[in-house]
Amino acid sequence: MAAPVFIIAASVSAELHQAMIEARGLALTAKNARALAVRAGSKTVGFRAITDFIEELASAIISQSRVINHHAEKLSTQAVTAWHSDNAMAQFRWVEAQKPEYLASISPHINQCDKQLNALNHELQIGLRDLIGQIDESYKHIRTANLIATSSHVEAATAGDFREQLEVIADNIRKTADRIAAHLNRANSLLSQNHRERKIAC
Amino acid sequence: MLATVLYEDGDHRWTMFARDPGKPDGIIDTNQYLIQSGDEAILLDPGGIELFAPMLTSVLKYVPAEGITKLFASHQDPDIISSLGLWDQALPNADLYSPWLWESFIRHFGMNNITYKAIPDEGMTITLGRIQLQFIPAHYLHSSGNFHVWDAKAGILMSGDVGAALEEPGAPLWVDSMERHGPKMKKFHQRWMPSDAAKHDWIRRVSALDIKIMAPQHGRLFKPPHVADFLRWFDQLPVGVAIKG
Ligand SMILES: [Fe+2]
Ligand SMILES: [Fe+2]
Repeated sequence: MAAPVFIIAASVSAELHQAMIEARGLALTAKNARALAVRAGSKTVGFRAITDFIEELASAIISQSRVINHHAEKLSTQAVTAWHSDNAMAQFRWVEAQKPEYLASISPHINQCDKQLNALNHELQIGLRDLIGQIDESYKHIRTANLIATSSHVEAATAGDFREQLEVIADNIRKTADRIAAHLNRANSLLSQNHRERKIAC
Repeated sequence: MLATVLYEDGDHRWTMFARDPGKPDGIIDTNQYLIQSGDEAILLDPGGIELFAPMLTSVLKYVPAEGITKLFASHQDPDIISSLGLWDQALPNADLYSPWLWESFIRHFGMNNITYKAIPDEGMTITLGRIQLQFIPAHYLHSSGNFHVWDAKAGILMSGDVGAALEEPGAPLWVDSMERHGPKMKKFHQRWMPSDAAKHDWIRRVSALDIKIMAPQHGRLFKPPHVADFLRWFDQLPVGVAIKG
């Protein structure tokens, strides 16, 4: 059985939170790289330019992760509301089956609850689709990070005494990008699992 | 859900719902009460979330949804009102009368449509159809904000957790001997009720009422002479016993 949407969305939110923390580490790496480039002077002019890219990339990942995290959290809350309505509908269906004397008097409220549940499920479908789109979008940052890591390695090769330290930084960028990608992959698979099951409210 | 009519005079009627055969094990059995008068009805301590569907079904056998204009929750416990989120969908136009003290807590059970009518500490009187109902303070018995319901015309006091007993399934509806019933109530009252002062204050006030039926939220109901027997029994029972030394 698929996990309920409110748990999936909360888990996606947690993955994106981790991705954001990794991106903060990346921003720190950029600061170290800049300090090193300043000390290394003219030999690392190329590297210094790259540090600007890393900083920009880190802040882009942080802000996007924050947006997705927030979106996923909101979806989780909506999914809880849908789950409550779904639960209420199940109870109402049971009451209907008992055919109590004044059943008709409750019908408008049951219909209202059903309508609300359908609207919530529709909203959830759209929200989940948007979430998948936003995560797909985030993968382009990973590709950029890998490109930067490769360029950093190239620049490190000409940095003389600073070569080793710059290579550590280049490796760091690649490893961080890998870890962020892993969080995105996990978020993605949580969502696609749900998509396959096509089961929204419960 | 077993429905028992406790009182009937024209359109003024008390019905008790209890002993749901489908109740899951490990959940305390509760008595729910429906009072009708004219074209209005109030549901007293509607019960836990697991009881909602059988309760709604039972109630709809007696009164149409729009007739249930009021709900009452004596205090904040889950066995009293954790079904609120569902009643909120079923009776969106109803008012919930409950202690002011618990408003921000009870709302956690889910309340988007129903209106919260906060009962002040000193209690209040409301009109239901053609009768008057009085919410009598019963603070600290056991909840720190707590009310009982007094219907002077019917002579019925809904006494919440006071007089409650944890009974085996299939127990009779009425107390037949305080000697036999006392031991079934003893632990519950000693451990749940925290204050002798609150207990004495309550006994003093309800002793002035002409109670024909005392109807607690769990277990059997009391009729004279067992009402007075209960008050005497409760009066001499030390409570708040979890405080040692
Ligand atoms: Fe209680
Ligand atoms: Fe209780």
